Amino acid sequence: MDRGRALVYATAAVIVGVTVLSGPAIGLVDLTTPRYDMSGLGEGNVTVDEVELPPSVAIDRGYQSQSYYLTVPDARIRIAAIDGKPTVAYGIDIPALGYSRSTTHFLSDGDTGWASLSLREDTLPDDAVDTGRYDGTLSLVVRDSDGKTVLANRTVPVEVSE
Amino acid sequence: MSTGRVGSSAPVDARERLAAARTALVRAVVGDRLGLAVFLGTLLAVGATWRVGVFINDNYTLANALVALVDGTLVVDEAAYGSLESPGMQVYDGRLYGRNYGQVALAVPLLWALRAATAVADPGLVFAAAWSLLLLAFAVQVGRLTGREPLCATAGAGLALAVFAANAALAEPIPARLVPLAALQLGTVLATAVVATTVYRLLTRLHDRRVGVAAAVVSVLATPVVFWAAIPKRHVTVTALLVSVVYAFYRSRSASDDADGRDAVLTSTGFRALAYALVGLCTWVHAGEAFVVFVALVAVDLPTAPSNDRRTIAVVGAAFAASLVPFFVTNALISGDPIRPPRMLSEFAVSTDRGAFGGAGGGGGGGPGGATSGGSAPLLPAPVRVVVATAAERAGLLFGPFVAGAKSAVADPESLYRTFVRAGYDGYIGQRDNDQAINLSVLESAPVLAGVAALVATGGRRATAAVRRPDDSALSDRSRRAVRALRTSQTGATDAFVALVAVLFTLVYLPRLPLFAQVTVRYLLPVYVLAVYALARQSWARRVLVGHGRAALWSYLGGVLLGAQLIFVVVTVGSFGRGGAFQLHAVVGLAVAAAFAASAVGSAVDARVDSVTAVTGGLAAALGTNLALLSAFAYFRYGPHVLPAADWLADLLASA
Repeated sequence: MDRGRALVYATAAVIVGVTVLSGPAIGLVDLTTPRYDMSGLGEGNVTVDEVELPPSVAIDRGYQSQSYYLTVPDARIRIAAIDGKPTVAYGIDIPALGYSRSTTHFLSDGDTGWASLSLREDTLPDDAVDTGRYDGTLSLVVRDSDGKTVLANRTVPVEVSE
Repeated sequence: MSTGRVGSSAPVDARERLAAARTALVRAVVGDRLGLAVFLGTLLAVGATWRVGVFINDNYTLANALVALVDGTLVVDEAAYGSLESPGMQVYDGRLYGRNYGQVALAVPLLWALRAATAVADPGLVFAAAWSLLLLAFAVQVGRLTGREPLCATAGAGLALAVFAANAALAEPIPARLVPLAALQLGTVLATAVVATTVYRLLTRLHDRRVGVAAAVVSVLATPVVFWAAIPKRHVTVTALLVSVVYAFYRSRSASDDADGRDAVLTSTGFRALAYALVGLCTWVHAGEAFVVFVALVAVDLPTAPSNDRRTIAVVGAAFAASLVPFFVTNALISGDPIRPPRMLSEFAVSTDRGAFGGAGGGGGGGPGGATSGGSAPLLPAPVRVVVATAAERAGLLFGPFVAGAKSAVADPESLYRTFVRAGYDGYIGQRDNDQAINLSVLESAPVLAGVAALVATGGRRATAAVRRPDDSALSDRSRRAVRALRTSQTGATDAFVALVAVLFTLVYLPRLPLFAQVTVRYLLPVYVLAVYALARQSWARRVLVGHGRAALWSYLGGVLLGAQLIFVVVTVGSFGRGGAFQLHAVVGLAVAAAFAASAVGSAVDARVDSVTAVTGGLAAALGTNLALLSAFAYFRYGPHVLPAADWLADLLASA
């Protein structure tokens, strides 16, 4: 048996071996751990000493399509101290459109300093948008062991561009 | 294997028999070593983009039907996934049934295999291990093909281990309840590999291996086939069956002269029977589409067959009848009527306004002996599709869709244009696709098909040549000669079959298109592959491939590796959203398609344009790949990738 072939068989043996040894039948090691442990979510404490919300929000006509895209720039918070796994929800309300959406971010131990919080963009139908400008409310809500705390809540202009 | 240790003479014997069995299997399934490499390569490519999850909500129907079938019943009692009120769930006598049972049945042994594998291996790691083993096998085959065995073996082993280590480090658990869904997906993934391999085998026999490999790669990676490869719908399965029918049909005209001088696996009558048997199996997946293939096959096969004697017809008929047995039995078990497939029962969850990806519904163009959903299926309530009795009506119903398709092509050229050239945004469709313009046309989904436009040039050239040639014979003489040529030429008959089946397939669906939740005009998926066949059959395309293959290859690779990044950056920086991103693909795709069409017409007339054609062709193919690539990693997120490293990449792109 030449070297190349031996190498191929050895590689196959390692791959199969590791897979079987870590499998449910033998279970020597567990290689498949969730990247983010969801237990204890929303528990702990966080101290935020500074909050930056974007000054405005945009609704743009989609490229080559009739529908509109709502894009909310990132918010930023400065975390002074953190303990456990609190969450922070970044949300927008546009009452005139009957629109509300938020994205929850998970924080974890050691996430001190500035953190960017995004809000996923969304599509609005062609017929939903009828004026050039709306009022929207941006909010940041922390959930930790003390329950819900509103970090920031600000009314911003929602600019529609065709 | 265990017999190997019994005696001294037994192991040699057993090993020889094993090797012989392996060779026979390779020959029957993939043709030769290069075919095996194409098969493995396709699995690797599809595996890298495969997500375990529900893309479109009629996936629930098939997945729940599979769970029921593996428990030994056709009746779907409970929703293992999602809801039972999914499109395509059929009801008869108060009991619920799935559909596409051929595809579901294929997944049963795959599910057993996956359950066996996940009994000893973690579901979160089992696909990663399999992918690395496939990579290893691919490297070994490439080594043998190129004569650089040690180098390829070493590189393959290193790469396989590195990828496996990365995957193991990033692995997350995949819930065991997703295993049946994964088995269903594995069925279509394997079907994709069959598409690639069969296209390779067909065009290698028609021309040479270079054309075969190029056509295989283009047919799978440059068309939406790769987009739908791991999405458990009927399209890829039907495509694989159809391409196999074309291959069997071609071999039925040429089986005696095997390329390698070896004895063919089947006689020409055997291959002819195989073609019909594959159509029979297709009825089990989708009776309406199988009927379309059947009509085209009969129309081309009977007049061009070398012989239609009683014995041959008996063999072919018997094979066809036998292949219909699973279809008949399934139907009989469900409704008691063997020629009434589940799609012709009433739908359980009928909603007039199916939302995007809530509406993958839409059946086929009717089945043998049945009512068809003909012109405006989405508007018709299910009870309309009730079996109608008389033979005359049946004939009308069977052939009605073709007539309706032809009528709609003439009466509604705008729909034709929006289906094939520029889809754009449509209010009706957009409403059902979350207001996103994510339905592309055929050309936008696969710009490389623009090369088919050169057929006009070659056709025109031939016509002028025919007119200029002094020819005294009458038109009827000439047409008679053309028919005779078709009869004696095996390739001519195959070309005719491919053309006819592509046209009929398109006609059946034309009245309903454009439609929502198609993304890439998925109803016409088999036609994409047939169009690639048409491309590969043109002499200018093969000349470009031989003379400027390197330029085409590098344009393709550059278009994928750089182009995909460029598109991603534009989409991300410009906040295009999913609909905008799809439209960007569409606009860029159309521009490149136009350039490719122009240079292809040029090449068909003059060989000096060939170098330009190679570059535009490579780029056009790359744009088809980019759409699938970015869809898998950026635009659609619906469940874990089978490869943890791919998940990691998708997460990285999402945070960009």
